[in-house]
Amino acid sequence: MPGNTETGKPMKNKIKVFRAMHDLTQEDLAQAIGVTRQTILAIEKGKYVPSLDLAFKISRHFQVNIEEVFVYDEAVLTVTVD
Amino acid sequence: MKKNSFYLIVGCIALALLAIFWYFVEVSVEVHRPFIIEAAFIVAIVIIYFVRKRVTDINEDERSAKITEQAAVRTFQVFWVIFCAFSIGAVMQILYVPTFPREHFEFHTQELLGPKMMGYFQLGLLCLMFFLYVAFRIYYARKYGDWETDEE
Repeated sequence: MPGNTETGKPMKNKIKVFRAMHDLTQEDLAQAIGVTRQTILAIEKGKYVPSLDLAFKISRHFQVNIEEVFVYDEAVLTVTVD
Repeated sequence: MKKNSFYLIVGCIALALLAIFWYFVEVSVEVHRPFIIEAAFIVAIVIIYFVRKRVTDINEDERSAKITEQAAVRTFQVFWVIFCAFSIGAVMQILYVPTFPREHFEFHTQELLGPKMMGYFQLGLLCLMFFLYVAFRIYYARKYGDWETDEE
């Protein structure tokens, strides 16, 4: 999964995996948490890093901790900085 | 209210403004009251603002808000630099600051940046800002994945 290379933040997420596990489309998830489908797509592709509020909403929707959906990969940051 | 109705109302307001401008330009020049046109413009903007608040089917979330915010900030940054540069030039003229080197002092900058030209320049600057804002919006929309396609 791609990190947010544009801002240099190594934020990864497993939304796609959780969606598959819950048999949800992007549209379903977007409607459930009150955003557009394009936003879910942008987050999945690492183009947009969601706010803490939205990140919690997503993880709560999947009934897991936020760290299980969103991963702050410092190793990627080290590689980026180096 | 639906989005399309909103755009229709904006179109009608724009036409009404155009008609007011067209009709009152003569009157305003004769009686020296540009105030009518200025007031019409402000009223139109206020109407659009309140009508916009009644639109229900515009999908806005934090990503689209961020795109708008970023585009507005960038446009403002460009705006204040250009506007400040122009204003410095205008103030220099008002204070009769001589040009350098001195032998070019007779260059007719007074006509170049007279009150009439200043008005045109400001209008031009506003148009530039509009196009710049649209360009920045497109740029940030692309950056934050507005036109991304998915296999889904």
